[in-house]
Amino acid sequence: MSESQQAATLIRHRNLEVDTWKRFEPTETRPLPADDEDWLVPLSVWRSARAELRGRRRPVGVLLGPADDPAELAEEGRIDPTGLALIAVDFPIYTDGRGYSIAYLLRTRLGWQGELRAVGDVMIDTVHYQARSGFDSFAIKPGHDPEQALRAFGTFTAAYQQSYPVPAARQG
Amino acid sequence: MYQYQPVDQLLVDQRVAQFRDQTRRFLNGQLSEDDFRTLRLQNGLYIQRHAPMLRIAVPYGMLASRQLRTLAYIARKWDRGYGHFSTRQNMQFNWPKLEDVPDILAELAKVQMHSIQTSGNDIRNTTTDQFAGVAPDEIVNPLVWCELIRQWSTFHPEFAFLPRKFKIAVSGAVTDRAAVGVHDIGLQAVEQDGEIGFRVWAGGGLGRTPLVGQLINPYVPWQHLLTYLQAILRVYNLHGRRDNKFKARIKILVKELTPQVFAEEVEREWQHLKDGPETVTAERIQAIAERFTATPYAADPGPDTSAQHAGNDPRFARWLRRNTHHHKVHGYAAVTLSLKRTGVPPGDITADQMDAVADLADRYSFGEMRVSHEQNLVFTDVARSQLYELWKELDQLGLATPNIGFLTNIIACPGGDFCALANAVSIPVAEAIQRRFDDLDYLHEIGELDLNISGCINSCGHHHVGHIGILGVDKAGEEWYQVTLGGRQSGAAKPLPDIESMRGAGAAIGRVIGPSFAREEVADVVATLVETYIDLRDSDAERFIDVVERVGIDPFKTRVYAERQQAKAAQVEAAHV
Repeated sequence: MSESQQAATLIRHRNLEVDTWKRFEPTETRPLPADDEDWLVPLSVWRSARAELRGRRRPVGVLLGPADDPAELAEEGRIDPTGLALIAVDFPIYTDGRGYSIAYLLRTRLGWQGELRAVGDVMIDTVHYQARSGFDSFAIKPGHDPEQALRAFGTFTAAYQQSYPVPAARQG
Repeated sequence: MYQYQPVDQLLVDQRVAQFRDQTRRFLNGQLSEDDFRTLRLQNGLYIQRHAPMLRIAVPYGMLASRQLRTLAYIARKWDRGYGHFSTRQNMQFNWPKLEDVPDILAELAKVQMHSIQTSGNDIRNTTTDQFAGVAPDEIVNPLVWCELIRQWSTFHPEFAFLPRKFKIAVSGAVTDRAAVGVHDIGLQAVEQDGEIGFRVWAGGGLGRTPLVGQLINPYVPWQHLLTYLQAILRVYNLHGRRDNKFKARIKILVKELTPQVFAEEVEREWQHLKDGPETVTAERIQAIAERFTATPYAADPGPDTSAQHAGNDPRFARWLRRNTHHHKVHGYAAVTLSLKRTGVPPGDITADQMDAVADLADRYSFGEMRVSHEQNLVFTDVARSQLYELWKELDQLGLATPNIGFLTNIIACPGGDFCALANAVSIPVAEAIQRRFDDLDYLHEIGELDLNISGCINSCGHHHVGHIGILGVDKAGEEWYQVTLGGRQSGAAKPLPDIESMRGAGAAIGRVIGPSFAREEVADVVATLVETYIDLRDSDAERFIDVVERVGIDPFKTRVYAERQQAKAAQVEAAHV
């Protein structure tokens, strides 16, 4: 996201924050972002420069697209959290549900316990399902009232599926 | 009847509140058309030709009399006094106003009903045998398993935004009446070494690319049913095509990967999930089973006088033969109420009929009924001693047409009269065929014959699996009809060499006989097909579908197009006289 675009509001730990994170697109002359701001880098960038990126002052986040295989983040079957600020999963359009399965796999199979953020077409109406699938951080898209998104975690207070937790209602 | 536990009611009530808020935001301009579309579809709300269409879930086709009364109330208050039963055992209203829908859903919630996941790219209402729970040939009662799947699939957080819609059918009986071979997943109960499990078919479906399901696992023990479904859905959610909605159903993935590779992928995923938290326990199944009310059958349901009445009343005799079905309990029968009377759109029912049927269900069938995927209603538990009385009442209501299993028991979608997607009308074609075959003696002589009509290639009228299938197509802005032969939803006994690839779980996809027909020709074409069958059959016992399987479609095709040629020649001649 370029700085000129309207920034999304971030929900983290059920609090609203300004979203300072930007998507990095590598070019031939600029394969890596500068170590000065909060950057989300594509999976390919992370994989090619993992060692270098892990040593940064401001750790980067990895951005997975819906077609990315989250297992490619893992080394020996688990994701090593060292120097990785967060994992973000992109929903280019909210009807593309692959990100839900990606989140589930990151949480239950690949050992990711750090911050897991839903970005892109993230709406009041999707955060409940996203939270149940393992996301704990949400970049709410412009036009959707973040306060209402906070309340939407409590849309359903029970669930049938045993292996997907019901999100706690708003804390604090 | 399944009785809600507190969590069921809580979730349905919370859904009403959620949808009320979404509708409010949409009407206020806070939610865009695009953002609202999928949300409303997940509540069964379409924007149709004349008005929104609201599809209400009837889980696995099971309906209580008080629920039918609520549907009647909704039909009167918010619609035009009638409703339509769909082939997914659901009810559709064609005339509600968008702003009324939250109130309609609130009214439904009072009687443990909803419209959750009746549309959208999610897991739809699980369907089953209309005689589930009372059929004499049952291995397990599929209702319990359907309810388990209903719970598991309701608001499933991972599978709410699949590449495309997803339909599951369960058959618990030896004879498949749930059409498991033409579903995204078909589950057929089987017994192995005294343990129950499910044979799993995947990748069946109608629509633009009709395919029969492929057997991907011959036996999944019941404990592992949900983890196995979860594995299939995850493979599909991650790998099903999203670039082209016509290639997005799981059938395309199964076909492109090959069934074997698909099955291996599922197996690999399943190994991670097997024995995990979604594993089904005996306690859970027991708890669900106990929430279904036990039918208090009479120890002595009275003398069965139906044969005697049939001897005196040939109209009753016909109905008794066609519209009553064997029951597992001695002295009882299941009864089909035909919603296929000539002149009434197939599956339609008025609010007054709904109220009357609800009263009859209370008096004759313990207040319960089923919706069949053939768009009829079934009273599952009628004492045979009361069949004659019930028939007289149904006859008064116009619900005793003795045509179950016959050609006039047409499955049809609402078609171009209502549906924005349709290329052509279905209802007037169904009516023309019904009028052509209004002679009951002739219908009985023809015997069993499934005739299905779809107004477009989305195939809501299941034409691909009709013994005779009729499909509305658009040719340069005009309505034309393509005819298929040899489709069936189940029961194919022996694979035939020429159509082996088109079979699975006993289902078969019909084959197109040739160029399409004008609307006014369709009834004549059906008549010719029937005459051809009667000439070719070796006895009354050989049914239409048996003859098609024995001789293939060529003799039918030859005669239909020869007669069409003659008719055209005669027209030309007449014009010259």
